[in-house]
Amino acid sequence: MNGRKSFGPKKGGRAGAGAQGKDGQRRPMFRRRKVCKFCADKIDDINYKDSKLLLPFVPERAKILPRRISGTCALHQRKLRVALMRARQLALVPYTAE
Amino acid sequence: MTRKYELVYVVSPEASDDQVTDLHNQVEAIVQRFSGSSIEKTDNWGRRRLAYEIGRHKEGTYVLEVINGTGELMKEIDRRIKVTDLIIRHLVVRVDEAQGVIERTKAARSATSQRRRVARGLPADRQPGEGQRGDADDDRDDRFDMGMDRDRDRDRGVDR
Repeated sequence: MNGRKSFGPKKGGRAGAGAQGKDGQRRPMFRRRKVCKFCADKIDDINYKDSKLLLPFVPERAKILPRRISGTCALHQRKLRVALMRARQLALVPYTAE
Repeated sequence: MTRKYELVYVVSPEASDDQVTDLHNQVEAIVQRFSGSSIEKTDNWGRRRLAYEIGRHKEGTYVLEVINGTGELMKEIDRRIKVTDLIIRHLVVRVDEAQGVIERTKAARSATSQRRRVARGLPADRQPGEGQRGDADDDRDDRFDMGMDRDRDRDRGVDR
């Protein structure tokens, strides 16, 4: 949970761990729980034709966004992957960034 | 064994509208040659930008055909498309099984929700005007939130 301290309190590097720890105690590191978009919105059909749905899962470098970042559940990530690969074939979604 | 397939093909942007219709007619002709098969739906998505260059093309006309037919038919269509220079990309996907799965999940979900609602003493179907609290104001897309919002909220003094 402490992997992303850079998003924590905006203290300069000089402030040191002590200040950050104190701040952390007052406001414990809280990150909103990620939910699978497809479960939450009850999207059953992850369709390769629906590039509007797929494109948020294709970041700048055009790699498929990993589950640990998007929060997608395993079932839907599998379906998403298939859909993205089909969409790539039809040039609806890029393989790589130019 | 009749199955349902989707065929999407991307026609070169140099092709005229007539040529696109002609390609559709060619596909239709092959479908009609095989007995028991039919075109369920045709959809021309029009000219779209390609996500990457194919050859030297940056755009293409997308056409979707939903075809009921056998694997043999699709094989023949696939072969014909491969030798057609005007079509720069195509994809054939079998969809009947996936559609069945989707319908079953939908049915299962509505059955569960009805059962639960009845168990709570509510009418089985959702009434108009009934909704979950916070449904409307949580439409912001925060899937990729990694704490930036929290920082911003704190700076603004928003209490969550």
